[in-house]
Amino acid sequence: MKPSKTLIDGSGPDAGDTLTAGRPAPANPTTDKAALRRRRRVELTRPWLLLAPALIVLAGLLLWPLIQVGKLSLQDYEVKFGGGVGTFTGFDHYADLLTSGLLWKTVLPNTVFFAVACVGLTIALGTLVALLLNRLGTTWRLICSIAILAAWAMPAVTGTYVWIWLFQPQDGLFSQLAGAAGLIDPATTNWFTERLPFYAIATVNVVHHGFPFVAITVLAGLLTIPKELYEAGMLDGANAWQRFWKITVPTIKPVFLVVTILSTIWDFKVFTQIFVMPGGNGSNPDVYNLGVFSYIEAFAKNDYGAGSAAAVLLTLLLLAITIVYIRTLFRQGEEDL
Amino acid sequence: MSTQSLTKAKTKGSPVRRLGLGAAVAALLVFTLFPVYWMVSTAFDPKALTRGSDLLPSGVTSDHFQLVFERGNFGTYLLNSAIVGGATILAAALLSLFAAIAVARFRFRFRTSVLIMILIVQMVPLEALVIPLFIQMRDYEMLNSLLGLSVVYIALSLPFAIWTLRGFVQTVPKEVEEAAYIDGASWPRMFWSVLLPLVAPGLVATSIFAFITAWNEFVFAYTFMKGSDKYTAAVGIYQFFGENSTAWGPVMASSTLVTVPVMIFFVVVHRKLGSGLAAGAVKG
Repeated sequence: MKPSKTLIDGSGPDAGDTLTAGRPAPANPTTDKAALRRRRRVELTRPWLLLAPALIVLAGLLLWPLIQVGKLSLQDYEVKFGGGVGTFTGFDHYADLLTSGLLWKTVLPNTVFFAVACVGLTIALGTLVALLLNRLGTTWRLICSIAILAAWAMPAVTGTYVWIWLFQPQDGLFSQLAGAAGLIDPATTNWFTERLPFYAIATVNVVHHGFPFVAITVLAGLLTIPKELYEAGMLDGANAWQRFWKITVPTIKPVFLVVTILSTIWDFKVFTQIFVMPGGNGSNPDVYNLGVFSYIEAFAKNDYGAGSAAAVLLTLLLLAITIVYIRTLFRQGEEDL
Repeated sequence: MSTQSLTKAKTKGSPVRRLGLGAAVAALLVFTLFPVYWMVSTAFDPKALTRGSDLLPSGVTSDHFQLVFERGNFGTYLLNSAIVGGATILAAALLSLFAAIAVARFRFRFRTSVLIMILIVQMVPLEALVIPLFIQMRDYEMLNSLLGLSVVYIALSLPFAIWTLRGFVQTVPKEVEEAAYIDGASWPRMFWSVLLPLVAPGLVATSIFAFITAWNEFVFAYTFMKGSDKYTAAVGIYQFFGENSTAWGPVMASSTLVTVPVMIFFVVVHRKLGSGLAAGAVKG
């Protein structure tokens, strides 16, 4: 297209001069130039015009609130008739937060250990399932994929209810089974009041919901590994375990990195699955995680400043992980992100 | 040829291996589907509460569903969820498609910065957004309004939608667009008659995902909606659950009503979404 354009441009004025007086020959190049300028302007502005609505929404509803939450964390915010009043208090909320025993003894350990357990189990189970799917024939792979998708699609709220029902004291399936096996006395055992069983159940719930993403992403990675690599490994006498660690893992390391980081981000900010569980909505401070703690401070105790400070802490934690994530993406040689 | 026979020999060869594979498949199916089965079978069980460890329900009844609709007002909740989800779909699809075309098709300054920003906002915890947005919405008197909730959900679903659609737009060959220009089409004409039909499957998949985001969301709906006539389905169950903490039949019936549409949508859409997801998640 471009070469033909320059050809016309070059020959245009001459042809016009000699042949037709009626045709506005000199106007031709100028309109052409104007058109070119207009096109360049369109090239420059069109992407921004296309982006503008989305960016405005994101700025107004995600970025602006983030700035606000930072501001709120430096204030004592009180709700009064006709609006809230904020009094600047500096870093008081952060000082209170970082010196509170609750944060160091309960909230942070709950958040971090829970996230580590969930990520570890999610990745391990997801990888095992991906390896399994990779070995199955078409029909069984389809059946298993649909089952995995069903687990993935289970909404966080209803999924949590089902797990609560399964572990419900007295009437729940697992309470009855454990009682029948003589492990517990179903009449007196409540798994939701203690920190460890509470988070064990939450972990099962989150892993059940989270491993499908890992399985399907890792499977996509597995399918890209050339079969010849495994044949070579087998010829060299490597067993399945060695083939996995020496061939599979190094070849699709970027995939593992990405699913690990994404799972870490998701599992650090788990809220609904904890909040909905018995005692999770604030009545049992032993099971607070950072998100629930922030929510309770703000909405149950009406201390918006302290809640915001905890929320900012969580955001900073996640931001640190996110930066690692983005650097990983770039290091993967994604030159045209 | 030889590769195929080799893998075949590997998977179909020894009976021990096949048995192991079968056991693994069975374990996987039980772990993934048992909660779903337990939910649905409890919802239909006339003696849901005293079910204990009976694997099969004691019978089939629709009593729990009737109770949920007649006394639990669940029809309203489902309708609210559908309205919010519908509004989210429409706006998110339109906005994300435009944005995705911009980042997939044009090279401009700060393009990478925009993409990184989209990645970063995806990581923001909802707990950090819910406090300032609650205050903001209260100041605008948009609490307890389906519109206010929809606006939040549009913002929440945009980053993922843009990221996924960008993958779909990239798969449309540029030559197709250029052909349209040569035929004298303007940009809007090209968009309408060439790009849109080609991206449509991806757009549908992404929209359904936005719908699921809105349908499942709990924190904002729980915080913003204080009048029970404005509850979405996810919050409606929570309410139900709090009032009758032991009425597992109705709770599972309402959970089934919330879960089953999402599952069907999700399974149908996943193949379409797969390519975009892979482009977004694996390759960045």
